[in-house]
Amino acid sequence: MNKLITQLGGTFSLLACLLFSANVTATVDAAPSSGAAATAAAPGEADTAKPKTGSTADHSKFEELDKDFATGPEVTEACLECHTEAAKQVQKTKHWTWEFLNPVTKQKLGKKNLVNNFCTSVRSNESFCNACHVGYGWEDDSFDFTSEVNVDCLVCHDTTGSYKKLPGLAGHPNYETMEWPPKSGKFREATDLKKIAQNVGKTSRDTCGACHFYGGGGDAVKHGDLDSSLAEPGRYLDVHMDADGLNFTCGTCHLSSSHEVSGSRYAPTAADDQGALIRGKNNDRNPTTCVACHGNAPHPGTSVSTAKLNAHTDKVACQTCHIPEFARGEIATKMTWDWSTAGKLDEQGKRIKIEGSEGRDSYDSNKGNFTYERFVIPEYVWFNGDIKYTLFGEKIAEDKVQINEFLGSADDPDSRIWPVKVFRGKQPYDIGNETLAVFHTAGNDDSAFWKNYDWDKALKTGMKTQGLEYSGQMKFVETEMSWPITHMVAPKDDALECAQCHKENGRLQAISGVYMPGRDNTPVIDRLGFTLALFALLGVILHGAVRWFMSKRS
Amino acid sequence: MIKAIAGFFVGIALVAVVALTSMQSLMFNITPSPYGVEETAARIQANIMKPEMKANGWSLSGLRDPSKAVAADGGNVLPVLLVEACSTKYSGPLLKEDTSRIFSILMPCTITVFKKDDGKTYIGTMNAGLMGKLFGVGEIMDKVAADQKVFLNFDPSEPAPPLVRVQPGGGGGGGKAAGGC
Repeated sequence: MNKLITQLGGTFSLLACLLFSANVTATVDAAPSSGAAATAAAPGEADTAKPKTGSTADHSKFEELDKDFATGPEVTEACLECHTEAAKQVQKTKHWTWEFLNPVTKQKLGKKNLVNNFCTSVRSNESFCNACHVGYGWEDDSFDFTSEVNVDCLVCHDTTGSYKKLPGLAGHPNYETMEWPPKSGKFREATDLKKIAQNVGKTSRDTCGACHFYGGGGDAVKHGDLDSSLAEPGRYLDVHMDADGLNFTCGTCHLSSSHEVSGSRYAPTAADDQGALIRGKNNDRNPTTCVACHGNAPHPGTSVSTAKLNAHTDKVACQTCHIPEFARGEIATKMTWDWSTAGKLDEQGKRIKIEGSEGRDSYDSNKGNFTYERFVIPEYVWFNGDIKYTLFGEKIAEDKVQINEFLGSADDPDSRIWPVKVFRGKQPYDIGNETLAVFHTAGNDDSAFWKNYDWDKALKTGMKTQGLEYSGQMKFVETEMSWPITHMVAPKDDALECAQCHKENGRLQAISGVYMPGRDNTPVIDRLGFTLALFALLGVILHGAVRWFMSKRS
Repeated sequence: MIKAIAGFFVGIALVAVVALTSMQSLMFNITPSPYGVEETAARIQANIMKPEMKANGWSLSGLRDPSKAVAADGGNVLPVLLVEACSTKYSGPLLKEDTSRIFSILMPCTITVFKKDDGKTYIGTMNAGLMGKLFGVGEIMDKVAADQKVFLNFDPSEPAPPLVRVQPGGGGGGGKAAGGC
């Protein structure tokens, strides 16, 4: 079986190479030619000072960018002089609106509206959380979503690695030298906007990762299959992103058009049977699926075992076998978060931080207790691409809340068995309103929990921003939130083997509605089989005995 | 006579089968841990560094992660951490004599902490008592076995300690200056 999988994987890699060497849609277009641009290098005269980017424009030669910019919006204004439609395009995307209307469940989702069991809510914490908004200045409801200069071009297109939007600055980088992290005694130089603007380029694992690796308040906190170890990953961690191999960036799969980046965790494609996607073909398909490159019969060959593997694709997502564990890099992912223990201080009344065995905080007065894990074996669910969320304001009676529910079943032809990270937590609940509670965590005001560790004040402010009156009574409830696992694709040799699922208490023990040889049995058939085997054995013995007896007689 | 000889060989074969099937459980002890791999290894290290264990000459000799070598070659294996420790009090007498110096092959004592496909963490130790009895150094190895039990006695009321990333060959306690034993 290993040999077979090895052969198949080799073919996939080759296929992937061929497909992607066709240089699919770039995530950022080269700048249009500008009359203001300085003269280019003479033909054949190589500019050895800069690495090759594949771009046809050298932004350091644009007069528009040869300025000492004081703020990010000033840079955007300069960008828009040439890229006239860019901001308008960005403003239509989820990266800007932080809103998503699920066409199936009709739920209004997006970061702006959702609750999670990490930092729980953006609401009332905008200036901190919005360090990951692709804009400048969103710190409260007065933010102007129509202003084009509020769009942040640099956060996605920086190639210097020096552009950082710090929490607390409402999406701005630091324009002056400032102490960072606060009270650390370390200082971060003012952002060199001119240098960054003159070195813009395609998006990279670093630019996407600046937010997506650090979701939930830190490295490897939220996703489990996305962390900073993917910035320069080895082959073992991700066969596609392998820095010494295929070296995919995020944009290689998450193709973008008019700044709309494909792939969504709000409405993922759980099952794709439309075969390999011809790049450039104009349709509404999601190009990020495995099938979009590897096709409907991803295990090539004509053997019975190959056919059997391909037959699994109508029930099992590719990720289930090919991402056998997540958080396989150097960084352990956060698995639990208990807010109920937050607020404990030392004898001097100061914040406590305790480092755990994984080298990460196991306790922080600001946030409570955490646990972490590496090489996490996923949980598995039937999933048809629809996710139902528990939203703020929804009445909840149980003490255990499913923040999101992956829908699907064995009977549903659009469902596949998917690996998920289930993140478990304890978070505030408003007893009077019978809802999950919004609380104000970050800020320099008196009601911020991280300022005064007073739950009542934090909840009162948080609930008010959500348009609700805090009842004055709270408790902590257990919550669960699932995240689809789809990155960190392992080398073919490390894919799950048959016996890891097809056995009692195997990987798919919790999967219902489907008969799995090795895991399930039918007692009547088992008894019938054993009886037949017993009769066969008795027949052989009897036959042998008769032959022996007859030979003695003769 | 033939029956007796045949019976003798059948007996030998049966003993061999029994020995082969029970070899692993006799030579090694495997016990589940309630903690993750890193925390389990860290708690074992903390126990090794307890004053009463230091008094028995124990120090940490290293912490190895053999899965890293596999990752460097492009593959994945579930996490494994090897906690290495040594006691000069026990190693000294063994290293002194020509006849017992060969037991340096078992030094330092290694406790393996690993994850299985069921997602749980397990601790593997060598059956030091049995090894000692088999090779005639039972007295010393019985003491090692007794100390090993202390290493694996976890106190859940204690917070998770940090993992001590000791370079193999480095060490603490009495053998620190010499790079562990």
